[in-house]
Amino acid sequence: MPHHLFKCSECIPERKKHAVIKGPGENLTDALPLGYLNTIPGSISERGCAYCGAKHVIGTPMKDVIHISHGPVGCTYDTWQTKRYISDNDNFQLKYTYATDMKEKHIVFGAEKLLKKNIIEAFQAFPDIKRMTIYQTCASALIGDDINAIAQEVMDELPDVDIFVCNSPGFAGPSQSGGHHKINIAWIDQKVGTVEPKITSDYVINYVGEYNIQGDQEVMLDYFKRMGIQVLSTFTGNGSYDDLRAMHRAHLNVLECARSAEYICNELRVRYGIPRLDIDGFGFEPLSTSLRKIGLFFGIEDRAQAIIEEETARWKPELDWYKERLKGKKVCLWPGGSKLWHWANVIHEEMGVEVVSVYTKFGHQGDMEKGIARCEAGALAIDDPNELEGLEAMQMLKPDVIFTGKRPGEVAKKIRVPYLNAHAYHNGPYKGFEGWVRFARDIYNAIYSPIHKLAFIDISKDEIETEKTFVTQKMLSDATLSEEVTASTHLREYTGKYDSVTELSKKTYPDFPSPKQAAAV
Amino acid sequence: MDDVMKDRVEQLVDYIMKKCLWQFHSRAWDRERQNEEILTKTMQLLCGEPVETATPADRCYWVDAVCMSEAFKERYPWLNTMDKEDIKSLMRGLKERIDYLTITGSLNKELHDTLY
Repeated sequence: MPHHLFKCSECIPERKKHAVIKGPGENLTDALPLGYLNTIPGSISERGCAYCGAKHVIGTPMKDVIHISHGPVGCTYDTWQTKRYISDNDNFQLKYTYATDMKEKHIVFGAEKLLKKNIIEAFQAFPDIKRMTIYQTCASALIGDDINAIAQEVMDELPDVDIFVCNSPGFAGPSQSGGHHKINIAWIDQKVGTVEPKITSDYVINYVGEYNIQGDQEVMLDYFKRMGIQVLSTFTGNGSYDDLRAMHRAHLNVLECARSAEYICNELRVRYGIPRLDIDGFGFEPLSTSLRKIGLFFGIEDRAQAIIEEETARWKPELDWYKERLKGKKVCLWPGGSKLWHWANVIHEEMGVEVVSVYTKFGHQGDMEKGIARCEAGALAIDDPNELEGLEAMQMLKPDVIFTGKRPGEVAKKIRVPYLNAHAYHNGPYKGFEGWVRFARDIYNAIYSPIHKLAFIDISKDEIETEKTFVTQKMLSDATLSEEVTASTHLREYTGKYDSVTELSKKTYPDFPSPKQAAAV
Repeated sequence: MDDVMKDRVEQLVDYIMKKCLWQFHSRAWDRERQNEEILTKTMQLLCGEPVETATPADRCYWVDAVCMSEAFKERYPWLNTMDKEDIKSLMRGLKERIDYLTITGSLNKELHDTLY
């Protein structure tokens, strides 16, 4: 097993089994780090807790819900507004967050009365909102407050409200992934099947494991609507509470982030017989294949093909402009979970970059299997890294850019490595054909930023060039390119708008005649 | 299996590992089912045999098989020169290899967890 022990972790020898280098000719049975285990004491993990995974990743993107944490205000504050899961109802779920604000006295005397008071106050403060999710925290779990009983009391008193209780305290798993699991199972156990939806199409899907980061979900919904598909619910980005209670009526579950939402897909398959189709929404080829598969499932692959051809013709020349300038650049792909495998192969193939390292903060070994399978030989794969390991890896691999979260991203900046936000994006959305070009543009801007180059100059001792009064990105990126590339009339930089999402809500869609209705005539 | 066949199996394995997600469901029994259903249907498509698509589950396996069989034919011209028996032998070898990589030889300790 090609394990890798970082110098900085020699004092924590157990860390050796959490990193591997995929050697030439090696496969998954040779190289796979341990994963989804409790963080080793002494290793300062970059992970979040199980409460964070339940609330911040999966719960809060639901848009028409009061999301209240039963616990200290700090838990709530740290899971508020740090991810850009936007919504089409004026971002209600991003603007407001709620905590019962438990203090020491509540730990001693209990906090059930406090919880009930908070629930009623929150509903009174927002009379148009009739749905609530209550998140248990370590504090309220340890004292044994019966949140379900309080929620039921309130629902009995206020018949028009519905409350979902998520019992996923911080200590409920090794990482936020434990919370993903818990809220998946809680939702299907408590809520799925409690609403009957209006079916408006012969082709009905749930779009699962999609969190509408900077509009990803709206981009994908546009494609589905162009195919005449009804998206019954999105679990959970831009998703509506009551739509998600009706997940049991879909014909197909289209699963994007398997790490956070495969559990509910598996259960929907077992309990309701709805098949699970895993897709990739990132990158031209994977996205095209994904749309085609969905089209094939319903017998409308021609509609998918029309979208693929139109979008590829519009955006591929722009993607290729960036590919010419990104070829050979070294990337550390260090996200939380699923982008490790969503991106590992396609950024290499479609943008020409070399993935020299992959890591996952909270993923399972299954995520690493996918990631290692998809990256090239020589890549360093790390499970649950700590900050010093990240620094050592960057010093060893000398990446041109890293894709990670904002905390390790800021650490990278300190050693002059540019970073892009893999979780909340820089200038997203990154899904969809246009989105993939936006991602390429962000990578280009990060790598070739003249300001970034200036960061390497020490004005106290380095010689300052005086011939160049200014430098542009293109001067840097095109210096070694052939004239054939730089003078190409086919390739072009990104020509989309600053906001590629808002206008989607104004679009009208074709009204496809239903084959079932046509057959009945 | 001779060296040519082994090499061809590895080319198909490489495609599946880099381009597909169906082989990495989270539990061993799911992986067994996925590998069996999708690779059988892929073999049937490559051999021009009828494929069962009556149930939603069948259609779901079938769409992965359709896209994969098309990609195989497009990327690996040698596939178009093989007869049915050779294709079946190739796909049996592929199934064995994928089962090994994802199930029997897998280092993933969560595969046998009884719950999702």
